[in-house]
Amino acid sequence: MRPQSPHEWARFHCGITRELEASVLNSLALRFAEWVDSLSISSSLHESFYLYNWIETTHVLTLMLSLGMLFVIDLRMLGWWLMDVPATRIAERLNRPMWIGFSIMIVTGILLYVAIPIRTTQSVWFRLKLILLVAAAINAIAFNKYLAATGKTWDLDKIPPKRARYAAGASLCLWAGVIVCGRFIAYDWFDCGKEMSAFMNWAAGCIASAAGHH
Amino acid sequence: MIESFFSWLETSALGAFVKDQGATFATIEAVHLMALAVLGGSVLVSDLRLCNVVLTDVPSKTVTDNAHKYFKISLIVLLVTGFVMLSGVAVKCYHNFYYWVKMAALAAGILFAFFVRAPLLQGDHAELNPMTLKLVALASMSLWFLVAASGRWIGFSG
Repeated sequence: MRPQSPHEWARFHCGITRELEASVLNSLALRFAEWVDSLSISSSLHESFYLYNWIETTHVLTLMLSLGMLFVIDLRMLGWWLMDVPATRIAERLNRPMWIGFSIMIVTGILLYVAIPIRTTQSVWFRLKLILLVAAAINAIAFNKYLAATGKTWDLDKIPPKRARYAAGASLCLWAGVIVCGRFIAYDWFDCGKEMSAFMNWAAGCIASAAGHH
Repeated sequence: MIESFFSWLETSALGAFVKDQGATFATIEAVHLMALAVLGGSVLVSDLRLCNVVLTDVPSKTVTDNAHKYFKISLIVLLVTGFVMLSGVAVKCYHNFYYWVKMAALAAGILFAFFVRAPLLQGDHAELNPMTLKLVALASMSLWFLVAASGRWIGFSG
């Protein structure tokens, strides 16, 4: 139905623009995935039983290191663990092993994407995982700034201030979400081509491509 | 007898519940992974401290005593979620070599944690040979790594 008022035209125009932007982004993402899929390394990874499985095993097991260290830090910031140890000391000392773990997870994660790029790009769980990863990173950056600015004033407190506790709680929730989404990527409940709602088709970026993938 | 238990488990109400919806098994497995992260954190913080790699300016007894609490909590969650997941795929697991590797490593890990490592670390760590502490730490990390790796490999070999 044609918009009748300037206000309705504005909403109509914004809706069209958002839809176009989403389609453009989805097209770009799919074209990038198809390009990665055409690389020989993608086929090699995907077709090698041991290589792919070892990369995935490394990715999953390394969460014991990266998220294990992160959970220790977060639990200290909640005042639930190692309360007799200064909070900033826990954060500083466990930062390096945590980042060693995250580095391994980033590399193995990229390789897992390269192995199966198209299905991964059109996985709602992968997309949600990326959103949660970005949110967790923003939360971590903001908290680290707060810790650097004020940490020394509450370092020895067994129960840190509310700001620290909220950030730690948010971190735990976001990373739990990352784990859940990461595990769910393997399931085909919302794969493109399956019968699902328009919203889920949009969320998964299910659009036809030149290569016939959707 | 063991095989009949596994068959019974899969046809039990718990097995039926797990198999009813695909999301049930997946959700329980996700909780299993979260508990794995906590167990990994508690084992690594504690054992790496014994190896003088992390938190070297914190008394090792403080680190190990604190870590043991979350080790026990995460282990309980892992055992419960693991049993629930098993009920959905019991017969397949019975015939899977890596499942039995995981169970053997798990039994060894639990026995080692509660009957060797914990009693040893109860006293003053300064009185213990540093090499003994490092060997205990390396054995602990190796066992739990084997549990986790063989657990993942069950999925690839089924």
